[in-house]
This record gives sequence, C-alpha cells and structure tokens, in this order.
Amino acid sequence: MKLEPDFSEGSVSYNPDGTLNRAETKSKLGAHSAIASLAAFYTKVKYGGYISVSSMGPPMAEIALQEAQLICDADELHLYSDRLFASADTLATAEVLQQGIKKMNTGKEMDIVFSGHRASDGETGQTGPQTAWKLGFTFLGNVIDFSVDLNNRFIRAKRLVALPGFYDIVEEIQAPLPVFIAIDPLYKPTFDTISLRLTSSRYLKEAKERAENYKTYLKVLDHKKLELDPRFVGLPGSPTIVHKVEKIPKARTTRTAELIEGYDREGIKNTITKILQLVQK
Amino acid sequence: MIMITMNKIENNHRINNESYRHLFVIIESINNEIIPASLEMLGEARRQMDHFNLKYKSNEKVIAIHLGQGIKDLSKDLISYGADAVIYADDPQLKYPINKIYTKIISQIVTNPHSLKEISPEYVSIFKKPRYMFFLADSIGRHLSSTVLAELDSGLASDINKLVISDLDIKHQHKTKGETIPYQKVLEMYRPDFSGFLWTTILCLDNKNPDIAKEFHPQACSIIPGAFQPCVKDTKRTGIICQFSPQFDEQDLKIKVVKQELVKNPVQFENYKIIVSFGRGIKEDPEANIKLVEKLAKILDAEIGISLPISKKIFHLSEKYDTIYITPNRVVGTSGRKVTPVIYIAVGISGAIQHLDGMKDSDFIIAINPDENSPIKDVCDVFIKGRMEDVIPVIIDELSKQSGQLKEKEIQVNTYGKL
Repeated sequence: MKLEPDFSEGSVSYNPDGTLNRAETKSKLGAHSAIASLAAFYTKVKYGGYISVSSMGPPMAEIALQEAQLICDADELHLYSDRLFASADTLATAEVLQQGIKKMNTGKEMDIVFSGHRASDGETGQTGPQTAWKLGFTFLGNVIDFSVDLNNRFIRAKRLVALPGFYDIVEEIQAPLPVFIAIDPLYKPTFDTISLRLTSSRYLKEAKERAENYKTYLKVLDHKKLELDPRFVGLPGSPTIVHKVEKIPKARTTRTAELIEGYDREGIKNTITKILQLVQK
Repeated sequence: MIMITMNKIENNHRINNESYRHLFVIIESINNEIIPASLEMLGEARRQMDHFNLKYKSNEKVIAIHLGQGIKDLSKDLISYGADAVIYADDPQLKYPINKIYTKIISQIVTNPHSLKEISPEYVSIFKKPRYMFFLADSIGRHLSSTVLAELDSGLASDINKLVISDLDIKHQHKTKGETIPYQKVLEMYRPDFSGFLWTTILCLDNKNPDIAKEFHPQACSIIPGAFQPCVKDTKRTGIICQFSPQFDEQDLKIKVVKQELVKNPVQFENYKIIVSFGRGIKEDPEANIKLVEKLAKILDAEIGISLPISKKIFHLSEKYDTIYITPNRVVGTSGRKVTPVIYIAVGISGAIQHLDGMKDSDFIIAINPDENSPIKDVCDVFIKGRMEDVIPVIIDELSKQSGQLKEKEIQVNTYGKL
C-alpha cells in the first residue's frame, strides 16, 4: 500500500533539494494501490484470510489506509510513520516495510503480500521487489490473474511480461507460498458465482462499518516499535541521493510548422484536404 | 596499540576502494534471441568504459552476463556488439527468467572473484563487487535489478536515459556529515520524471560520514529501451567468453513456469496509417475529450495513442475508458512505442522529449494545442492553435464534408483483460 501524491495538474510541489514536497502535495490512495487492495479483497472472499494493510508515510497517510480498508475489508491497518523514515530511497523504504510486514497479525507469517504495480510517486517500481527480497518471499511481478491451492500451499499466477518493441509474453507460473505479488493494472477480479457474490457483499458491508471506525484498526509504528536501526532507514540508510533536478533541454527543431489559428476554417479545411491526399496515396 | 588499529582501518579502506571493478551488463534474451534493447545498453556501456579507461588510464572491462538455456552461441554476438567479456550460465533451469533464481545466480557471478580469473587476473585477489551495473528497464530487468541490488545491498536508479561518469565534490548532510568531500568515478544517472520535462540526477554514494560509514557498490541503474544506440556490429572484435556453473537452491526449483505464450500487443500501431494521440490537454473534461478523440479516430480509421503522463492515471475516468485507453501499451515515446505513421495527430500534447523521440519520424505531423510555445511545434508540419474542444469538432465537420466515402469504422477494442 502506498500513499501517492495526487499528480493532477498543479498539485505537485518540490523541495529545494529536488525531493517531492509531501507536505504541500495532496495525497490520496494511489490507483495502483487500490488495485492491490482489490486483489487482497478477492483473496479474502474466495479463500478467506486475515488482511493487514500497511503504508509508510506521514501521519496523514492514515486516510489512504482508510480508503484501502473500505476496498478490502482489512482486519488491521499499519502505518509506519517516523521523521527518521523521511526521504528514504527504495532500499531504505523496503527495510521499513519488510520489518512492518513481519509484525503484522501479531507476528504470524503472511502468505501473500500484494503491492501496486508501481507508485507514480517516484515511479520506480523497485520497492515491491526489494521488500520481497528482504522478506525472502518469491516475487511475482505484473500479475494479471491468480489462484491459490490452499492444500498444497501453492499459488498459480498469470503474468504479463512486456518487452517494448519486441514481444509481449503471457506466462503462467506456480510458486510455493509465501509470495509477494505486484499486481498489474490490468488485473480484474471476477466474482462469478452466487456464493462469491454473497460473501463479497457481506464483507463490503463489514468494510464500510470498519472504515468508519478505522482508527480502532490502526497501529502507528515508529522505528522503535519496528525495532529498526536508525542507520538503516531514511536518508542515512539510502544508498542513493537526488543530486540535482534540471529541465530537460528542448529537442532540436526538425520541422517548421505552418501555424493555423483554431478559428481559421479555411486553414483547417486545407489541412483536411492534405490529410486525405496523403492517406489515399 | 591505537596506532596499529588506525593503520588497519586505513589499509582496509584502501583495499575496499580497489575492490569494485568493471561494468557488468545484464543481457536479456527470449527464445535464444537477444532483446534488441540489451544491445543498446551494451553499446552505451562500451562508450562509457572507453571514455573511463582513457580518462583514468585504466583497463576496466565491459562484462556481459547472460543466463538462459541454449544461449552459449549468442556470446560471440555480445562481443561483436561491444562486450570485452561474456560470462554465461547455460542451464535448463534458466530457460525462463524466474526472478528468484536469476537474482541468486547473477549475485553469485558478480560477487565471485573467480569469475574474473580469465578476464582480469590482476583483480582476482581484491575483487568484491562490480563498480557499475546496467539492467534493462523492461518487465524482466526492472524487477531483476531491484532484487539483485537488494541482495548486493546497494543503490539503484531506474528508468535512466542519460549517463555521465565524473568526479564530484559532494556536500551532504548524511553522506558526508555536511563536509565537502571528493568522490571519484561517480556514475551520474539521469532519470526523466513522469512529465518528461525534468531530469533528476541520481547518485549512489558511499556513506563517508563516520557515524554511518558504509560502502555502496555497485552503482547500478536500469535503462529505458530506446534511450541509447547499439554499437555497429563488428565480428572482428575479440573477447573472452567464460562459462559459469550455477548452484541452485532446491527450494527455488519448486517455482515453475508452466506455460509461456508470446502474444501480440493488442495495440498494433503498425497496422494504421494514422495515429491520433492525446495528452494532458484533455484535462478540462477528460472523459468528454477522450470521446471527441475517439470520434475523430473512428472517422480517420486511426489508432489511438497516449502520452506517458496520461498512462499514470492522473484523471478520473469511467472504468470503460480507463480500461481501453489508459494502458501502458498505448504510450507513444521512448517509454512506450516508437511510431512512424503516415499522419500523426497530437492532441493536447505539449511535447516532452521522450514523446517527440517516439513520433518525430512520422511522415506528416499535426498538433492541436492552445499554447504556441509548446515544444511539439518544433517537430510538426501543421500547428493548429486552439483548444481541442473547439478544434476537433471543426475537423470532424470538414472531414465529413470532404469525404463522402470515409465511413465511421468501429474501433477494434482489444485488451489483455480477457485472457
């Protein structure tokens, strides 16, 4: 789960050091995190289970957790919040998340972790796999569909592997639990039996009630509660730094455009004539 | 006693600095075909290290790492495209790029000094980890780079399209405890932000602050396909080819790919003479404006593309429009697809350089944009200055007047959603 800055026009603000100014940037539950919540909900409806939702962020990130609870009927909400965590790069973020995941559900090992495909904030897509690696969970990325074999403790997942300018590959992979799944934006849960639909609507009702009282489900954990060494989190624990932010120079001018005013009917008419000529060639 | 301890620390420090060598490039292939972007990355690695060796009077190598089954024979090609050496692992268990298995094998190779026995025997006794590492920023390399760097406990910058190696004076609250300290041979990794107008330079630096002292190597990044040019293939180039025998963990072999299918991307820009793309200019009424673009595309029998920022789901749309149009496989640009249609119509796209690189070779380019100073104007043939809401209806009207025979065709809507 990740609280994402709202990237709609005009609401992004940067600090002088080039990092995102989260205090001034509006936040909401990211679209990718919402899909991850949906996948978790589907799993709960179909197979049962205990859902913990977690996010690392400032105190206001609890709103995103509430939104997620409304989607997935979470049994527990974790917010990892500490000034020391600020401006962490992906490796230092993964360090916090993996420690938090280990503390979910009173320390029982989780079977599946769902994350969004990538957060548009920073847009790296690295945190998921790095958290998985630190946990020792098998990482499955770009998952568009999945099913769980509870008896044999296996998951079977369909992945879409896009290799730009080359092939796209649809792969079916099976792996023993526990797994860490980065869910693809194309994932769509289907509640295709009556019993699934009934269970789904029962949980959704519960989710609504829970989300109204989300604070009773919320645990806020700082580095002490997470038993994290301050040297390995936040900026001190980050191998990478943002050195500078600059404007990308404009591309070379390759053509001289004919300028037509939007109200110039004659100009547009001529352009259309040109288009039709070119297409018919 | 104290003196001796200090000597030891200094000594260790010196050795550590020499323990990071070479540029390792992680090559990807599918069905014994090298993914073209791997060669682009190899080309850039070659240029960087040629420059590096000249500047620092050294002899560090470009080492290609290639895992797979039946891939041994591709090693020569990697030499022809710029590698000094290739380390390959050829094994049935490596047929598919399973993240966990690949991560472990790559980590084994790049942390084992004996990997360099034939390539650079002079470093075998001191080598610990690579100096630099390049991965591909695609669905395989993005995740692989993340897990490998988590294993190697170092930093990673993703989606890079420019690289510079230089010596920098760094002053940083944590890295240097506020002092100015010189860093040598730093890889400056330039990453275009989501809008495509800003470059962020990421550095992976050792913590020289004694309170948190730690060395972070390799300096690694994933590279956007299409960002760099491959070297011209030179079959006369020579290099060293080494085999690596991987050690697998039994538990990991339970992860199995049971089926693999190559599929065509449902968005086939190549099949259309015209592409209409839209960008953030739809903002005033996103859904209504997409419908307008859709209508124009139907009349022109055009495929619809989008700019990168649009693919980040920055607008709230109904599920239908979101599913059909807001998908990465419609993105035109270096972060998506390069297109060269007969006619390219850019609607409400200001023209970040990555977008322009993906469409500027189209035969005839029309832009519709209210801002005359948009960079897209520099690459188009006709610039219609106006809001899309006002201009597109006029175009549609003119089109129907001028062309009786052009009929509205149903746009084929394919997504991967229904597999």
